[in-house]
Amino acid sequence: MPFLNKIENYSSLSIVGLEKNTGKTECLNYVLSRLRDSHKQIALTSIGIDGESRDQVTHTQKPEIELSEGMVFVTSELHYKKRKLLSEVLDISRQSTSLGRLVTARALSKGKVLLSGPANNKAIKELLADLKKKGVDLSIVDGALSRKSLGSPAVTEAMILATGAALSANISQLVFKTQYVYDLIQLPEINTKLKTKLSEVGSGIWSVDVEENITDTGISSVLLIDKKKDKLFKYGYHFFVSGAVTDKFLDFLKIQKQISEIQLIVRDFTSIFASSETYYAFVKRGGSIRVLNHTNLLAITINPVSPDGYTLNSEELKQALEHKLDIPVYDIKRI
Amino acid sequence: MLFREAILNTSGLQFLVENLDLKSSLGRRFLLNSKMMCDELEITAELNLVNQFVLLQTTDPNTEILSKIEHKLAQLRDIRGTVNNLLGNLVLDDIEIFEIKVFALLTQEIEVLQKELKNVVLEIPNLQPIIRILDPQNTKIPSFYIYDNYSEELASARKALKITKAKQGVTDKEVEACFDAAQKLEDKVREDLCSKISCFGEDLSQALNQLSHLDLLIAKANQALKLNLIPASVSKENTSYKGMFNPMVKNELENQYKKYQAIDIDLEKSVCLITGANMAGKTVILKTLALCQYLFQFGFFVPADSAKIRIVDKISTSIGDEQSELNGLSSFASEMLKVSEMVEDAHKHENVLILIDELARTTNPVEGLAIVNAVAEIFYQNKIRSVITTHYSGLNSCFRKLRVVGLDKELGETLITRKNINSYMDYSLVEDYNGEVPHEALRIASLLGINKEIVEKAKTQLNGKLVINKC
Repeated sequence: MPFLNKIENYSSLSIVGLEKNTGKTECLNYVLSRLRDSHKQIALTSIGIDGESRDQVTHTQKPEIELSEGMVFVTSELHYKKRKLLSEVLDISRQSTSLGRLVTARALSKGKVLLSGPANNKAIKELLADLKKKGVDLSIVDGALSRKSLGSPAVTEAMILATGAALSANISQLVFKTQYVYDLIQLPEINTKLKTKLSEVGSGIWSVDVEENITDTGISSVLLIDKKKDKLFKYGYHFFVSGAVTDKFLDFLKIQKQISEIQLIVRDFTSIFASSETYYAFVKRGGSIRVLNHTNLLAITINPVSPDGYTLNSEELKQALEHKLDIPVYDIKRI
Repeated sequence: MLFREAILNTSGLQFLVENLDLKSSLGRRFLLNSKMMCDELEITAELNLVNQFVLLQTTDPNTEILSKIEHKLAQLRDIRGTVNNLLGNLVLDDIEIFEIKVFALLTQEIEVLQKELKNVVLEIPNLQPIIRILDPQNTKIPSFYIYDNYSEELASARKALKITKAKQGVTDKEVEACFDAAQKLEDKVREDLCSKISCFGEDLSQALNQLSHLDLLIAKANQALKLNLIPASVSKENTSYKGMFNPMVKNELENQYKKYQAIDIDLEKSVCLITGANMAGKTVILKTLALCQYLFQFGFFVPADSAKIRIVDKISTSIGDEQSELNGLSSFASEMLKVSEMVEDAHKHENVLILIDELARTTNPVEGLAIVNAVAEIFYQNKIRSVITTHYSGLNSCFRKLRVVGLDKELGETLITRKNINSYMDYSLVEDYNGEVPHEALRIASLLGINKEIVEKAKTQLNGKLVINKC
């Protein structure tokens, strides 16, 4: 599988499913099985909970994550106790998650484990840095694109996206939805200088002028935009939005006469909560969006089987996606 | 009294704790839960320990070793829960055993480092036996699992599991059975391990305590060096400070490029009244006295050039507005209740330090003065070590009085403003034998730049030219 060579260049990789049952775990197990022969030290963790043997929402069979000997993994205390393999404790985090502290351990035998990990971006970044310090060459994050979690898989350097029939039973719908996420992932990153400046910003909407000086507009959230619209354009038309970007905000911006000058900067692509229609309308009118952290999309994997029971034509789906998106698409089961 | 209680109403203490460079959460907890010491031997022992670290910190090879120890202390985790489980004879899980192993290794490393210092300061229990049990491969690497070395039976069960897993066409059930068998053996080994290390539970607990103490001692010594604090000696009679200063106020002044004037003060076993102009630092003196007494009895060095301190059983203060609308009490009422409590305390145990700022200032001066004289007399008769600041004239002549020198200097043409008043004010204390207090309120008020009309009208009033407002 070609994208495995690409993985070699990165120290962190996330595997993200667009929907439950889009074959994320299958994909993860595939990547792990292929990396088994390389001499890299691999670590595995997750954002939130993962690796249940049955899907907790639809109760369909779900593959467990299989670790091989020597792999490092990070999971919560609670899940560590339920592990089905022999492993050696290497470290325990000081911070606690809802499932207890995080245990870093090394698998001493092949086996299955429930993964759970830090729930916010800062903690994930710290964990990735810590794993690197412990001699890990590649950290793989099993990530969900959940709007409920504060953690975003975009903190990793590279990403594989899993999509499939679970997202939509209609191929053209499925392609459209996948393309939207693809487009967001491909949003360009801002320059390093501005990035350092903005990464220290805590919250609110900040204005960025031509010389890249940043000023607080005094608007603490996009959600409060209605009452403070007048303040927004006081310093210019480039903004850094620290939190989520909503439909309402983009709708408001797109009808402004300066729309072609408006540029939004968001933390990463997961900060955009707007619907695809709104986003494309905003872009069409001339607005643009940049991200603080760009992640490199390596490949898209597809699962043509939906949990409801119907199956799409794998080859047709693959072709349709590849035709629209400039990225390799694979059906893991067919490689 | 616990440190965590003392810190609540002593702002100077809060400042020092915030600036105390404790490396571990254990050290902080140890400090907050430490009791105020009232025993001379205890206090001197703790101060001697701090002093040893001060000396070590200033001699060359030791400085480096201490910084290594501090680095190790920063890695210290609070494992009291785990140790308690062990002492309660529970079977620990791998994570808890890992914690104990990491702690034991760390303790060992600190002990070795401490031995490199010229004199071993704190006795740290030897945790070598635990390490020997939990590190059967003798790698000294802080990681843990139930090693194959513990039981041959377990090792072969694990081997069997591995072989079964690798076999072609093996069912999940078979693997499960093998896994369970290995698990069972593992559980048994874990149980044995826990009973083996549980007899060292007390040692672990002791080590936790000693390392927390070590963290605190090093932090105390570093702070003493940084802020120029000195060890006070125990006095059987008077408490006396030479060059006493308030580290928080001093720090604040230094931030504004101003100088702090240290003062000397002697406290006899009786009442002492402090008078002086406004802005002359009376409240700071009281706060610093409370601070120093606490610091001394919690085993810290004190902010002064030299100090002899009499140990007390209790420190009572009434500094600042105690008004509590929620209790339905006025500031006067709550002050009076507090003072009444102090007087009762004074009757119960004589060995207290009482500090009252501007007693009865919120009522009329005639009755206020009467109250000051009355309270002072009770303290005088009962020989209570106490300090009361006041602005009232006409204090009973038998009490000892100290006066802040204030703006007595001949200043000539110098223009004094709120910004530079600090440089012209003489904050030192002198014995005062007449009952008059300085009348400088208006002068100070005008220096503060308040509305001129107030000052002028007030002056007219004082001159007896009462202007009757006919409207």
